[in-house]
Amino acid sequence: MAASVREYLRNIAETAMTAFEGMAVTCSHFLRRPSTVQYPDRMPLRVQDTLPFRYRGILEVDLEICTGCLACERACPIDCIVIDAPKDKQTKQMLLTRFDIDIAKCMYCGLCSEPCPTGAIHHTPEFEGADFSLESMVRRYVKEPVAAYKPKKVETDPAVAPILERGMRYLDEFASPDAPGGAVEPDETESAA
Amino acid sequence: MSLAGYEVAVEQVGPHGLETEEMTLNMGPQHPSTHGVLRFVVKADGEVMRQAIPDVGYLHRSIEKIAEKVGYHGFMPYTDRVDYVAAMFCNQGWASVAEKLGDITVPKRGEYCRVIAAELNRIASHLLSVGTMVLDIGAITPFFHAFREREKLNDLLEELCGSRLTYNYMRIGGVAWDLPPGYAEKVLAFLDRFEPMLAEYDDLISANKIYVERCAGVAIIGREDAFAYNLVGPNLRAAGVRYDVRRDEPYSVYPELEFDVPVGPGEHGVVGDSYARYAVRIREMTQSARILRQCFRQMPDGPVIAKVPRKFRPPAGDAQVRVESARGDMGWYAVSDGTEFPYRCKVRTGSFAAMAIIDKVSAGLMLADLVTVIASLDIVAPEVDR
Amino acid sequence: MTPPPLQDFLDGLIADGVFGALPPAIVYALGIVTVAAVVIFGFVLNVAGVTTFIERRVWARIQSRIGPNRVGPQGILQWLADGIKLLMKEELIPAAADPRLFKLAPYVVVMGFVAAFVAIPFSSVLIAADLDVGVLYITSVTSLVVVGILMAGWASNNKWSLIGGIRAAAQIVSYEIPAALSIFPIVLISGTLSTQGIIQAQGWAPWNWFIFYSPFTFVAFWVLFTALLAEGNRTPFDLPEAESELVAGFVTEYSGARYLFFFLVEWGNLYIIGALMVILFLGGWQVPPVTDNAVLLNLLQLVTFVAKAYLGVLIIMWIRATLPRIRVDQLMSTCWKYLVPISFVNFLGTAVWVALWPHGNRPVWSLMTLLGFALAGYFFYRVGFHLRRSRSELLLSPFS
Repeated sequence: MAASVREYLRNIAETAMTAFEGMAVTCSHFLRRPSTVQYPDRMPLRVQDTLPFRYRGILEVDLEICTGCLACERACPIDCIVIDAPKDKQTKQMLLTRFDIDIAKCMYCGLCSEPCPTGAIHHTPEFEGADFSLESMVRRYVKEPVAAYKPKKVETDPAVAPILERGMRYLDEFASPDAPGGAVEPDETESAA
Repeated sequence: MSLAGYEVAVEQVGPHGLETEEMTLNMGPQHPSTHGVLRFVVKADGEVMRQAIPDVGYLHRSIEKIAEKVGYHGFMPYTDRVDYVAAMFCNQGWASVAEKLGDITVPKRGEYCRVIAAELNRIASHLLSVGTMVLDIGAITPFFHAFREREKLNDLLEELCGSRLTYNYMRIGGVAWDLPPGYAEKVLAFLDRFEPMLAEYDDLISANKIYVERCAGVAIIGREDAFAYNLVGPNLRAAGVRYDVRRDEPYSVYPELEFDVPVGPGEHGVVGDSYARYAVRIREMTQSARILRQCFRQMPDGPVIAKVPRKFRPPAGDAQVRVESARGDMGWYAVSDGTEFPYRCKVRTGSFAAMAIIDKVSAGLMLADLVTVIASLDIVAPEVDR
Repeated sequence: MTPPPLQDFLDGLIADGVFGALPPAIVYALGIVTVAAVVIFGFVLNVAGVTTFIERRVWARIQSRIGPNRVGPQGILQWLADGIKLLMKEELIPAAADPRLFKLAPYVVVMGFVAAFVAIPFSSVLIAADLDVGVLYITSVTSLVVVGILMAGWASNNKWSLIGGIRAAAQIVSYEIPAALSIFPIVLISGTLSTQGIIQAQGWAPWNWFIFYSPFTFVAFWVLFTALLAEGNRTPFDLPEAESELVAGFVTEYSGARYLFFFLVEWGNLYIIGALMVILFLGGWQVPPVTDNAVLLNLLQLVTFVAKAYLGVLIIMWIRATLPRIRVDQLMSTCWKYLVPISFVNFLGTAVWVALWPHGNRPVWSLMTLLGFALAGYFFYRVGFHLRRSRSELLLSPFS
């Protein structure tokens, strides 16, 4: 409590002055453009198209380039990937008969996409996966058994080459012990620290 | 929860011959201003509290036990959830302890990437902390301004690692992604817009007389109490102790960076009160901005991750590492038995100790002050319970 | 008793035989009830509802957001949607609550609130009843809400609600004193308690408003404003319903239509606060005599009054967005140690002033007006400073 008349008057003056200044700040905010983005209908682009390339949305598997190595299944820390890749008795080829990802269990950590040799399993910018049934949360990527992909030195099949290129571009984003990191140009216009 | 041992004798006849009774209130797990699921059993005499007994465990998810099941690499996304508000520090702690066990050196550029991510996350975490503190005290606007800035930070971190809250950015041996092209310009532009915003924040709320009266002098925690209850981070620094793990037990590239360690008191109030804890956090944000600018100037080229085998089997033994998280000194302890699954992982967080001191500090405070104390100690429930 | 114009009008209708064999007392009663219903349903409820919507939009812009803008053009039907939703909700009464008090509390609160509109003028003739004790009547009748709030807090059988109710009682009862003491200077100057009388003692121009009459009335304006904020449970004095401490204070257990009543009262009270400030200090419905047509003049007065009162409402919303909440002991000390002594000084000062200059001191009055405008100018200068420092993009339109 105020011990003297001066402190009493100072309390009143400080309350008035700080309230005045605070009101000036909020009044200035009233005149500014709000930073709300009216999703999803009043936006120039779809949100999914504005997300960065590294965005970790719902997983997607390109079966054309999946080699059946099961590295993603082993790397997943929450066991949400189930793959069946038996060897076909007649053709001695590896077949992919089942590739299920439970996107409700998935924690979108990205650990499965790192060890993939071709970038078949990757995150997409899609994030709207809400649905009404639990069963639809399990994405089954194999419709009918397909042969696993055999990586070649140079891919010539025109159906597969662009998919492989995108997969390798996805993998290139990850840092590797051999690749040198890029230099960052110092910004000339930065203010003093 | 049993209240055995906590009973306080009920006064039947008060000082003026009136019969009085103590009121036992439950500031339950669901409450607008306990930060997460925390519960306090409050014994109050009208508005004045006698005791506020904390009850923890509502957010326990056995994260430390899960480490023993998923292995060293697979545990990294789980560490995000130990403190999801400041997840980069948890990543850094786990990566550092695994590197210490396996004797791995992180390349220099990788360390710089870690520091950049960590300091960005520190600013984001402090924005959340001061924003929710002023919201609990009743000012609804600065909360939104703080979160507006935090959204921009979330966008920056999303560009860096793909996720806005649970980053999983660091790996054992370095970081998973290098800085994307043009990142330095974006972060520096953000910092240029951020520092005037902090000044505006001060004009709006930090100097406000009502806010100062609510916080200054409330729940003073001095040096001895802070040491006795193991408080760390901004809570300890507000008590006047200039201790920061980045300065006193340096790790990563912090020895090469110049920054101050702000201590209490703030512009108003005394050492160790709620206002000091608030002011320390505001000033730490400025220091983080300073560190970020230096990092971008000093970053060398090179790889950002070291070579670590897929089946990471560190030799048997144990290691302990401390990182300066947004909430203070976070200790990570891991025991390895030679296999690719750790034998034990233990996390020591700052919020757990802060919960304990609320019991001591709340005697004689008013109900409204309890909210101030919880907010100023920056307690987040995931850190308390893991 | 019916106001004279209404009584004459009804007497004319009785003479024409419109009401047949009904005794005149019943006709007068019907007339009063009709007027009350028109005022309540035509004005009060709608103003309270629209105020909720405008408050949300104003807060949103202050907080860098947009606010509700989907229900109806620019979202103006949001309050209707909220009201209908609340009416359709389940009626919950806690098992151990006192059912009669629980159900009665909202009605007591609404009674205290709506009864105040009787003495609030809208123009020089549009007033439900020009009571000789108008201002005293308004302050007394708005205190009825304390009873309702205490009933709500106690009957909910919830310790948090009880704390909220007790805080409200302490707050409203304490702040009656500085409120009344700050009204007395105006009564001294104008010589009447009647609201129309006080307005007629002022002029239409700012240099004829009571706020600038003397330094004492200027201070009395701010003291009254603070005290009325506390009466209306508005931040910085919204402890009874402090969301972050007491979940929702004394209305925690209420849902549906009963909750709607409490909230109508809170937002409608803003209008009463604004109207009271305008009546006492800001010239009421006075407009420059631009036309001789009585209907047009009254319409102009109505628009002026509502606009000025609503400006006060906007300022109250703006204050709520800016300031934090004070603690209950600080609330008490603010009232008894600061506001009450200051209001006594104002009262005595005004008494001396009126004794010295019965018709007001013209030079000081004009000087205070100039100072008032200078203060407003300085305020907008600070606003510009903050805009420049933040270097943000401007959007001057309230729509988005």
